[in-house]
Amino acid sequence: MSGGEGPIRRPASARRLVVIGVTLVVLLSPFLWLLQMSFKSNELILQFPPPLIFTPTLQHYASLWQGAFPASFVNSLMSASFSTALALGLGVPAAYALSRWTGRGKHALGFAILVTRMAPPIAFTIPFFLFYRWIGLLDTVTGLVLVYTSFNLPLVIWMMQPFFDTVPSSLEEAALVDGASTRVVFLEIVLPMVAPGIAAAAILCFLYAWNDFFFALILTRTNARTAPVAVVNFMNYEGWEWGKIAAGGSLVMAPVLIFSLAVRRYLVSGLTAGAVKG
Amino acid sequence: MSGNGFIDAERRRFNLIALAPSLIVLFLIAGLPAIYLVVTSLTPFQLVNPGSATDFSAPFRNYRLLPDDPRFVNSLWVQAKLSFWGVLFQVVLGMLLALLLHTQSRVVEFARTFFLIPMVLPPIVVAIIWKLIYTPDISPLYYAAGLLNIAMPSLTSSVNFALTAIIIADTWEWLPFTFLMVLAALQTIPDEFSEAALVDGANRVQIFFYITLPFITPILLISAMFRLIDSVKAFPLVFLLTGGGPGSVTEVTNYYAYLLAFDFNEIGYSSAVTIVMLLLVVAVSLGVVWMGRRREAMA
Repeated sequence: MSGGEGPIRRPASARRLVVIGVTLVVLLSPFLWLLQMSFKSNELILQFPPPLIFTPTLQHYASLWQGAFPASFVNSLMSASFSTALALGLGVPAAYALSRWTGRGKHALGFAILVTRMAPPIAFTIPFFLFYRWIGLLDTVTGLVLVYTSFNLPLVIWMMQPFFDTVPSSLEEAALVDGASTRVVFLEIVLPMVAPGIAAAAILCFLYAWNDFFFALILTRTNARTAPVAVVNFMNYEGWEWGKIAAGGSLVMAPVLIFSLAVRRYLVSGLTAGAVKG
Repeated sequence: MSGNGFIDAERRRFNLIALAPSLIVLFLIAGLPAIYLVVTSLTPFQLVNPGSATDFSAPFRNYRLLPDDPRFVNSLWVQAKLSFWGVLFQVVLGMLLALLLHTQSRVVEFARTFFLIPMVLPPIVVAIIWKLIYTPDISPLYYAAGLLNIAMPSLTSSVNFALTAIIIADTWEWLPFTFLMVLAALQTIPDEFSEAALVDGANRVQIFFYITLPFITPILLISAMFRLIDSVKAFPLVFLLTGGGPGSVTEVTNYYAYLLAFDFNEIGYSSAVTIVMLLLVVAVSLGVVWMGRRREAMA
């Protein structure tokens, strides 16, 4: 499989390591700029040349903590968690069934799911907005959970199928011949074998919902406003408080950074939504 | 084998029970909205005029208006420019980065993870990051330009540079994606190929063009297609950096549809714009599926 790990190793030369290091610093510098700004006082932010060493302050984080920001953080957390749970509960058994499906219509169904995943969010926003306005789900966490499930459920089904494909069917057949029901085989033999896949799918679902800006911008106002929308509101309504904006941005990206480092191996398969193996 | 027949029947019943809830939910939260979008696109629906939601007297009026709407035509052109340059830079730079990092070293393997950061950041945080870089008062970029005596225009409000500013931010955000895809492909190239070529006296450039490049071409194409599909969704960058401006220089179709529906309240017309966009995405998706199958068939 991985030829690069063959018997002959090509160690990185010192020159290459230097080039890699410089590239990394240049590439990450915009990101690091945001991070350091969140720890600077407002006077320091405007000071150029920027001081290399300064006394970090937590004043922006503290003022965020006192405002409405924590509530929006909780909204983000709740809508992302519930939609992840819903998508896994529905999608994992469906992915298993699809993986073992031999009948016709598998490809058509797979394509329909892929399109759901690829569709630009605006396609769903207009119908959801009108429908929510009608039944009163605008500006509720429930409303967000439903919308997020519309892209997380296809993601789970697509992502979990290859995991189920790798479980040898001889294992299941042996248990079935011994008289176990398909349900028991699924719950007690197959599921434990794909546990890493479920964990990866769960984290990706959470991240996609957490990262959403567009749906929350349109479908929420104040009660269910999520953290990404709240950060942008600092810009519009509270003047240009750069320190606070940087601190808010840093808080929004913190869970994402931690989680994605945990699932980096699955990032590609999740992003390509299973259309490409590997 | 009557036992197997029984097992098969039981399995079919289980499959149905496992699939049904997902299919029903998908129909409700994805199928119905799609149908509703098509229906609304056939009406002149405006939020201020509720009766217009069911007015089907001129069903194709919205679609007939589209070709003569200069803002819509312009938005397609802006989208094409953004997608073309963005995808091109992402594929080329991502490939170069993958070649650079395709080496055996624990340090490099550890460093790879950090190259992925831009891609996993919430898109709105990426937009904030570039907003900071593009705002003259607080930007190290403008400070550096000042040191070098370069008079830099305000990038995001300049007719000439606004789209470029978005392309730069978009490339920064998604370069790790192509990097990751190409790196995975590079790791499947058997060492023997390049070793044999080395023995035969080939140099590094020749190895790249005759062995590596043909090997990774399919993955380059597939990454490009995926980025092409996703580039249609570019919203936070446009929303936060330029707001579609100056004028409509950076107004992509997605953003125009958003303005139509939620600023101008032209729900019906916006739905028609969205449907056209959706059809374009489906066409590209079909291409991806087709290429994926062909690749599987070749392997």
